[in-house]
Amino acid sequence: MLDLKNLHVSIASTPILRGVNLSVDHGETVAFVGRNGAGKTTTLRATMGLVPSTGAIVLDGRAIDKIAPHERPALGIGYAPEDRRLFSAFTVEENIRLPARVANLSPDETKRRLDRVYSILPELKEMGPRPAGSVSGGQGKMVALGRALMLGTKLVLLDEPFQGLAPVLASRYAEALRALRDQDRSLSLIITESNPGLLKSFAERIVTIERGEIQQSELVEAVH
Amino acid sequence: MSFQILVLAALDGIAYGALVFLVAVGMTLVFGVMRILNVAHGSFYALGAYAAASLGIAMAGMGLSPWLAFPMFIVAAAVVGITVGGLMERFLLQRIYGYEETLQLLVTFAVFMMLENVQRLVWGVQPYFYSDPLRQLGNVNVAGITYTAYQTLFLPIVALAVLIGLRWFLRYTLAGSVIVAVTEDREAATAIGINARRVFFLTFVIGVTLASLGGALASPTTSVLPGMGAEMIVLSFAVAATAGLGQIEGAAVAALMIGLGRSTAVFFAPELEVVMPYLIMVLVLLIRPEGLFGKSTARKI
Repeated sequence: MLDLKNLHVSIASTPILRGVNLSVDHGETVAFVGRNGAGKTTTLRATMGLVPSTGAIVLDGRAIDKIAPHERPALGIGYAPEDRRLFSAFTVEENIRLPARVANLSPDETKRRLDRVYSILPELKEMGPRPAGSVSGGQGKMVALGRALMLGTKLVLLDEPFQGLAPVLASRYAEALRALRDQDRSLSLIITESNPGLLKSFAERIVTIERGEIQQSELVEAVH
Repeated sequence: MSFQILVLAALDGIAYGALVFLVAVGMTLVFGVMRILNVAHGSFYALGAYAAASLGIAMAGMGLSPWLAFPMFIVAAAVVGITVGGLMERFLLQRIYGYEETLQLLVTFAVFMMLENVQRLVWGVQPYFYSDPLRQLGNVNVAGITYTAYQTLFLPIVALAVLIGLRWFLRYTLAGSVIVAVTEDREAATAIGINARRVFFLTFVIGVTLASLGGALASPTTSVLPGMGAEMIVLSFAVAATAGLGQIEGAAVAALMIGLGRSTAVFFAPELEVVMPYLIMVLVLLIRPEGLFGKSTARKI
């Protein structure tokens, strides 16, 4: 589904990713773990085209590394960055709808996707009219997930979604992810996390990255 | 004397503030979205004035109705915005977005120098006068003072319409929403499919069009001559800094303050006319270093 082949990224001539190879299947949930600075976030950003990279990024057999960053989400990739990055000038609902408006989706398609988001994250519906700047950090993570799901029909990249979440919100977030997977068996998820324990309950594979290189890729059963 | 002179100063200040607002709001919009302080912004004011004056004089020569001057102002501003502004963004600014601010400042300063000379080359150094629209709208009487309706009513109404229109555009249209999104967070905007480059282009063209609309509307009230752009860019910097860079409503209030301050100085302390806008700016920035409406929040426009 997604293949990263020999992905290299350097920032200010410091190598951050040193030949990352990663394959994610249709419907697979991958926990991408590693220490801070190991290259988790950079791998996701390179996939979205937000940092220049060399090597190949292949989505469903099609090389997307030459595709402009802003054209990649429309291929079915949703991305929720680490620190939420909501647009505070808009309401929660406007934040969630904006990707659909930008992609020029039909009203029917927009509604279908909104319904999908609200069925997984019903709390977003109540939060809808609130200014995005006024929601709490944890709620903001939910909004960012909802926004990513509007375009993420094939692949969703979630960067440290559990970081800073209160335990009750973290388990609510995990529950939403499980509901998402149950609802759409073909959707692939890559979730970065410094604490792999949180993801064992639903990730199928745990991939460990260290100093810009993949060290380990284990099925969760094997981990147990 | 004093009451009538106060009214006169107020009318002068409001009319002038309206023009300064149009230029300053364009500059502050460009800065808010693109983080580029465009030194050449005043040149677009001058180009708008020259374009409107030459077109107006040509139209009068052809015997066309003077009422056509009003739509012509908008056309002249849009032509300058799309051609000169569009070319500058596409072929110059797009190459320097990644570079440090000093270089960006120098590049726009170079464009300013070039455009100043282009104006002398095309229009010469003799002033242009085009006051038909001023006469067309006639005069009004305000508290015993006879003043042109163009300056008393038309200019402030246009400035207000631009303020409301711009806010409406940013709030309720898709193009406006993507501009706001890119202003807040360019990377997050790209990650949801927004083409930031196109947003930059659109913003710059709008900013330049507003500056040249200011110039076009100013042309009937002043003699159009070399150097008018330089004076305006300094004033709009003062307005934008007083308001807090990137603040649209703030630019309106600051433009009015500076317009009124300047006109009051003209009547009561003429030797302070030139320094007045900076006195206001310095006073405001001493008390509020982030500007009147500047905030430390993420919101920039």
